[in-house]
Amino acid sequence: MFANAAIIGVGQSAYLRRPEPTQTAATFIRDAVVAALRDAAIDARDVDGLAAASFSLAPDAAVDLAWKLGLSLRWLIQDTNGGCSAMNMLGHALRAIETGAASAILVVGGDATGLGGYAKVAANFNTVTQLHLAPLGHGGPNGVYALVTSRQMKTYDLAKSDYGQIAIAQRAWAAHNPHAVYRTPMTMGDYLAAPLVADPLSRYDCVPVVAGAQAIVVAHPDRCPRGRAPVRVRAHRASFNHDNQEGDGLATGISTFAGALWEVAGARPGDIDVAAIYDDYPAMVLAQANDLGLVPGNDLQRFARHTIGERRFPLNTWGGMLSAGQPGGPAGGLNGISEAVLQLQHRAGARQVKNARLAVATGYGMTMYRYGGTAAAAVLERME
Amino acid sequence: MTAQTTTAGVGIWRCTACGASFFPQRLLCARCHGDAFAPDRVHEAVVEEVSVIRHMLGQTDWQPRRIASVRTSNGLRMTVGLFDDSEPGTAIALFEEGTAPFGRAV
Repeated sequence: MFANAAIIGVGQSAYLRRPEPTQTAATFIRDAVVAALRDAAIDARDVDGLAAASFSLAPDAAVDLAWKLGLSLRWLIQDTNGGCSAMNMLGHALRAIETGAASAILVVGGDATGLGGYAKVAANFNTVTQLHLAPLGHGGPNGVYALVTSRQMKTYDLAKSDYGQIAIAQRAWAAHNPHAVYRTPMTMGDYLAAPLVADPLSRYDCVPVVAGAQAIVVAHPDRCPRGRAPVRVRAHRASFNHDNQEGDGLATGISTFAGALWEVAGARPGDIDVAAIYDDYPAMVLAQANDLGLVPGNDLQRFARHTIGERRFPLNTWGGMLSAGQPGGPAGGLNGISEAVLQLQHRAGARQVKNARLAVATGYGMTMYRYGGTAAAAVLERME
Repeated sequence: MTAQTTTAGVGIWRCTACGASFFPQRLLCARCHGDAFAPDRVHEAVVEEVSVIRHMLGQTDWQPRRIASVRTSNGLRMTVGLFDDSEPGTAIALFEEGTAPFGRAV
């Protein structure tokens, strides 16, 4: 439990499928930082901590970002854990505030790789990918998660349309998110008719790559703007390389800490009002939800068809990355945290979940070989 | 796929302390944390899942390729390219082109 640290502001840049040549990861991050500082009513001169993650900031590093943003700091980290970076940075930032290492921290993530740049990132993700996967023409993460999805379909008796339930429900939420890149309602017919990308994954199973950035501000809850509830993190846990890539990929690192997460949070999965599950692929939404204990009886089929298909549980209410867009894994993870904050502060507009008080958010990423090797989650609470 | 120099089997690494096999290569054994490995080869596997990569970001003239998750005869799981239309359950022979593992039906 973090008593003296809270999320007090969020901000994001525009999300663009095709950025202008003058727009870079750094300029998108700047836009998100400006928005977050304004939202938190914090002057840039009061920021003394920065956590940054990006696949496309190089050769610059976090300190270059600090320099270019005019931030003089006493706490600085750069995170390289992909879809888990945001949640990982949040944990570090909360602990830094609690221990007095910093008093106001910006947590930022953003990317502007472009489609060609993203393909290069995917083919050179790590040495194992360079040596053993890219020469196969494995298609980057699409190929990896196509195989994981097939395995999940066999193990849990899932149909292609079960994944469609997630994509369609999230698209319906995205209709209420002005930042989402895809907001037109999607039918099951649309989903099933979409061209295959990497069997069994089709177009709407794969996150649309966008250029953009997200930022949040972590500080003492007393610094939250007047009239707005700060968002406290009741519990935070992470896992790295949980099984040496020797499992089937259907259980994420979340499975190693879910019990401790709920125990520390003093809550149960059934208490959650809204969930933000890192959605690089629908199969991984199901896997993480299952690991968290959100799926009674591990019945993924019923969860997809009944719970999500019949809109019985608010999941990824900003549309998820599948509809809102994925500005690289690092900022992608911040999407879910920001949405949880907006929901708990009752600022989510037309997509507001009534009386939301407790949320769970996750991060998942770093496809080392056969599936992701990093995972983290937090239980967030509205402070009255 | 154009055939480059193809070598029978796929190179793996066996811990000299406990005998555990690994692919890809590790720095320490995940079982006993021993730091010495002997090279070995594995020649056969069974296909578990298959995908056809039909689209590649940034490429307009992409020809579909088949990849598979396989279980080798000594229990390792690896991702290979397929030279043929092998489906799940098919026993395949393993080959290496450079550092990349491939397979085709036995």
